[in-house]
Amino acid sequence: MRAREGAVLLVGLFLVALPLFGTDFFVGSIMTRVLMLGLVASSLVFLSSQGGMVSLANWLVFGVAGFAVGNMVATSGRGLKLGWAPWPSMVVALVICTALAWVIGSLSAKTTEIYFLMLTLTFAVIGFFFFGQVTTFSGFGGMTGIDPPAFFDDHPIRLYYGALACSALAYLSFRAIERSPFGLALQGVRDEPIRMASLGFDVPRLRTFAFTFAGFFAGLAGVLNIWWNGQIDPTSIGIGPTLDLLIIAVIGGIMHLEGAWLGAFIFVGANVYLREIPGLGSIGGFVQERVLAQERFNTVIGLLLLLIMVASPDGASGVLARIHSAIRPNASAKRRAITIDPTGGYK
Amino acid sequence: MKMKAHRRLLAAFAVLALLAGACGSDDAASTDATTDTSVAAEDSSGESVDETAEESGAEPADDAGNAGGDTSIRLGIMGECEGPFGGFHEDTVAGTTLALINGAGATSTSATTALDGFSGANVAGVDIELVGIGCGDDTADRAIQEIRTLVEQQNANVVIGPLSGDEGIAIANYALDHPEVTFINGIAGAQDATLHVQAPNFFRFNGDGAQWNAGVGDVAFREGGWRTAAVIADDYGFGWTSSAGFVADFCAAGGDVVSYVYPPLGTTDYSSFVQQLPDPDEVDGYFWVVGGTGTNAALEAFVNAKGDLDGSQHAGNLFFNPGIAAALGNDIAGAYVGGFASLPGDIVTPEISAYLDSADAAWESLGGGLSGGEADSPSVALGFGFAYGYYVGTLALVEALDAVGGDLSDNHSALRAELSSMTVEAPYGSVSLDANRQGIVDTFVAQLVLDEASGEIVQQTVAIVPQVDQTFGGTYSADTAPPERDNTDCAERSLPWHGNTIPVVDGVPQR
Amino acid sequence: MTLFGATGRPYGRFQGGITVSVVQDAQLHEGAFGERRNLRSVVGAVGPVRLTTIAIGLWIVALADRSWTTETSAGSAIAEPGEFLVTLLDGLTFAGLLFVVASGFTLIFGLMRTVNMAHGVIFLLSGYLAIEVQQAMVGQERNIEPEQVSLFDWIFPTLVGAAVAAAIGVVMQQLLLRWNQGEDLRQAIITMGVAVILADQMLAQFGGLATTMEWPGATVHFFEILGERYATSRLFMLAVALGAGALLWLWLNRTRMGIVIRAGVDDQDMVRALGINVNLVFAATFFVGSFLAGVGGAMGASFSGAAPGADGQWLLNSLIVVIMGGLGSVKGAAAGSLLYGTVVAFAPAYLPRDYTFYSVIVTFVLLAVVLVARPHGLFGKAS
Repeated sequence: MRAREGAVLLVGLFLVALPLFGTDFFVGSIMTRVLMLGLVASSLVFLSSQGGMVSLANWLVFGVAGFAVGNMVATSGRGLKLGWAPWPSMVVALVICTALAWVIGSLSAKTTEIYFLMLTLTFAVIGFFFFGQVTTFSGFGGMTGIDPPAFFDDHPIRLYYGALACSALAYLSFRAIERSPFGLALQGVRDEPIRMASLGFDVPRLRTFAFTFAGFFAGLAGVLNIWWNGQIDPTSIGIGPTLDLLIIAVIGGIMHLEGAWLGAFIFVGANVYLREIPGLGSIGGFVQERVLAQERFNTVIGLLLLLIMVASPDGASGVLARIHSAIRPNASAKRRAITIDPTGGYK
Repeated sequence: MKMKAHRRLLAAFAVLALLAGACGSDDAASTDATTDTSVAAEDSSGESVDETAEESGAEPADDAGNAGGDTSIRLGIMGECEGPFGGFHEDTVAGTTLALINGAGATSTSATTALDGFSGANVAGVDIELVGIGCGDDTADRAIQEIRTLVEQQNANVVIGPLSGDEGIAIANYALDHPEVTFINGIAGAQDATLHVQAPNFFRFNGDGAQWNAGVGDVAFREGGWRTAAVIADDYGFGWTSSAGFVADFCAAGGDVVSYVYPPLGTTDYSSFVQQLPDPDEVDGYFWVVGGTGTNAALEAFVNAKGDLDGSQHAGNLFFNPGIAAALGNDIAGAYVGGFASLPGDIVTPEISAYLDSADAAWESLGGGLSGGEADSPSVALGFGFAYGYYVGTLALVEALDAVGGDLSDNHSALRAELSSMTVEAPYGSVSLDANRQGIVDTFVAQLVLDEASGEIVQQTVAIVPQVDQTFGGTYSADTAPPERDNTDCAERSLPWHGNTIPVVDGVPQR
Repeated sequence: MTLFGATGRPYGRFQGGITVSVVQDAQLHEGAFGERRNLRSVVGAVGPVRLTTIAIGLWIVALADRSWTTETSAGSAIAEPGEFLVTLLDGLTFAGLLFVVASGFTLIFGLMRTVNMAHGVIFLLSGYLAIEVQQAMVGQERNIEPEQVSLFDWIFPTLVGAAVAAAIGVVMQQLLLRWNQGEDLRQAIITMGVAVILADQMLAQFGGLATTMEWPGATVHFFEILGERYATSRLFMLAVALGAGALLWLWLNRTRMGIVIRAGVDDQDMVRALGINVNLVFAATFFVGSFLAGVGGAMGASFSGAAPGADGQWLLNSLIVVIMGGLGSVKGAAAGSLLYGTVVAFAPAYLPRDYTFYSVIVTFVLLAVVLVARPHGLFGKAS
């Protein structure tokens, strides 16, 4: 255990010190986004690794936080235009998100496996069309020009630290839950729902609580996101970004909490830096002109995704584990013995 | 008891990755000194733009923070390589590049694509280098990410773009927070971007979605004899704005809009929505703003439910192009079509031919959106509104820079004053800006007609609508809400261009 | 029968003993493709659902009248029987197209538990190819009139598109999915990667503009029905769908391969134990499933055109249909198509006029209600 905490602490310290030597763009744009996406992804990883629930509704909760803040803060444009101060709006938005997560959680808690995935996807699509069609709250144009509290306005580094603090809070909370009675019960529900039910545990309620808890952190990320991004519209919570979140969690490794931030880092990094495959310039011809030209970087992302998934079912953290097991076979045997089914019980 | 070492390795990897990312641009800084500002002198394609982009982005303390210190223009182009308009990426860069070729002595790196960049652009002693091409996908979120990369990483101090409406609003808002950068819109047409956001450093030399449709209602009222109309439009910003332009114009002329139908985006089967429209004997005409696969699908549903098309009963915005005849037959002949940035190919003035010829001289071929990405004559892409919008924006930049003698001091204040007050004599009509830095533009009304020679439906200009402004005679102002489903006030009023439209006969404007 | 999971067996695999579970399955459902459960028992199981159905029926038949309640665009079925019939036909014909696409999706899922996220791009690719082939056959790219298109000019491009689609499906299955069978989530993500790549490449090769395929001229006519005009091309689409459905039924019920597949849906281990080449069966299933997506792609290209974004739209459509009907059940796909097609047609016509924008939300709320009430869909069963 010590080694894991030590390593995480090391990364944490590094992230705290990052603004001292990273460029403004790297800290204020890339890493802030990585931390926010990692925060939402961690809520998904928590649900799937502890509760066996691979949810596609976490991104909806994230988005609803943004729409809630937008509706409360804006004074012009679309939506309710309540003109509230940012901080109270944040509190209300978090309450709304947590409540929404509770509703979605209790509606979905009795479904499992692929059906849970599908039901949460349905809620995500409903959310997309709700904010698209109901112009009272948004419409397809979305909420634009939303300013963060004065404390964060024009201070990207402060926002970075805000995202870092929230990420740390989420990490510590999720880790603490893992070892709490609630967490242990949840793991029981993940592995043996029938036995847990016959032992007297209220299985749907445990699932609902877990979902609500995760929803709070997804909402927190959503509030940070609209402060950072300044806008949100229905396409922000469409099916594409919803699946992107799953991709982030999976490429990071959906069974490891740390994998959430690792996946976000790979995803954002690939989007920004991997617009072309290095060394491709020399291939030339049709392949370079049409198949893998610079503007085809979605193809590159897709290939990366395939590569990671073909190589390792447990994402990047799984790749690292394999490299490690090649070096130290002993440790890996031990690891395998306790490894949880990487598909989250989806067989 | 859990996998200790594995975690440690994981964490170590993360730290390494972070370090690599954080220091990536610092590394580049060391090579920067030796790199000259020209962008794509080397032969390699695609990469050169990026390399230079990263290199020039390596001095965070210097350029971006210190706005007074700009000595060259580091141009970022906000293109569109994915999403529904992803096919027009080449067009956006080609439009920008052609203006620099014609006005700033630039040379395109490649003879078959504009995406490889250009070299040698200089106006009044100021070098213009391309630092990056953003890749939009028609969503505002992506536009913000791309513009951040262009401005904050690649250190662009002038940005041309974006292409589509919601991106435009997002970038106009971004402009508010980045007063040191000058933004010139590409061809995005959301009304809010200028009318409501009003960023002092965001300039738009093209019309908005409503302006493009000015004149259609007037012509339909006068020439087509319409007194009542029904509107069917995509249920989102562009659909609302485009139909709002028709409604404001048609109502101002004295007509009445009796029915609005807004199928949601993503509708596959339009029959139930078309069913909601009044029958052809209950209304004089229909105005269509349904895009993508919906244009054909909705019209086909109309034929299925309401009877054969009678061209004189229909009008549409730019989605209503001769291509629909390919699917629906020639009955559509007679329909009126709203304008876009450039004119249909049937009008040829000396300025227009010179412009198109310059495009054909600049490249051997281009794979623009109209040609489906296949190599085609460059004038095909440049003659269409997307490339033309970027062209006019860049042309304004070049001319303004020339007029102020390359003065970029004090957050480009002289340049911006010139941009605000100048009149750009662009090939398809002159453009000046209003107080919100929104273009006052010439637009046009066209008609789909049957070309006797070829037996095909072609688009023919019937009128030029001069100097259309964003407010529609006061229908819109900073105090009115952005156009929504049916919130445009339908009232008779006088519009500056009513009575001043210039008829066009056989491609010759009757000025 | 309880509300959730019929017998509370969503966790069947934990109960130890595959025999018990299979026997129960057989008793309850008689296999995924041969359910005897009729719609009445499905609806009757849920009181609120029945009440809602009655209320909606009453609204459409009588209350939605223009004159004395709030105005709807269609008017009540009593006052405007023509509008009602047209709306019903719209729903049925659209359901036909939905069924062709979704049955392929559900076939693959039923046998292999693979959620094929590339189903939409395969659909779209086939549509693009069919359009290209048709243009080459007719000899012009623009302004093709229906009269120029013979029945063969439609069927042959459709088959070409579908064949390519099927080939891609098989190649994807053999290269990327064969060796990780059983890992649902991993397979879903892998197919998602394929979808991202193919969609991006299609944008590069076919551009961003919408193109359309022409229905054969012989099918483009109109007829009068209770004073409303209706297009025969929509009925042709329904006929093609029924034909595809009939062939699928014959394949599944009258051929050895089909019987093996049905057996594999119920008990893969037993099929394997009997010495049947499961890999061949899997490949064949992916072939047929993708072929159906391809046929649907050509129909879709004729019905509403092909353009970037249609892939995601049709993946979503397939998901909705099979989730409603029950994942893995072909009969469920038929029921889901009918339900979804009907709602898509009726919601805009019978919602009060000021609320027709919300028709799409109604569709998804219905889906959520179905799922909450019957977590495994109308004809689904626990895995």
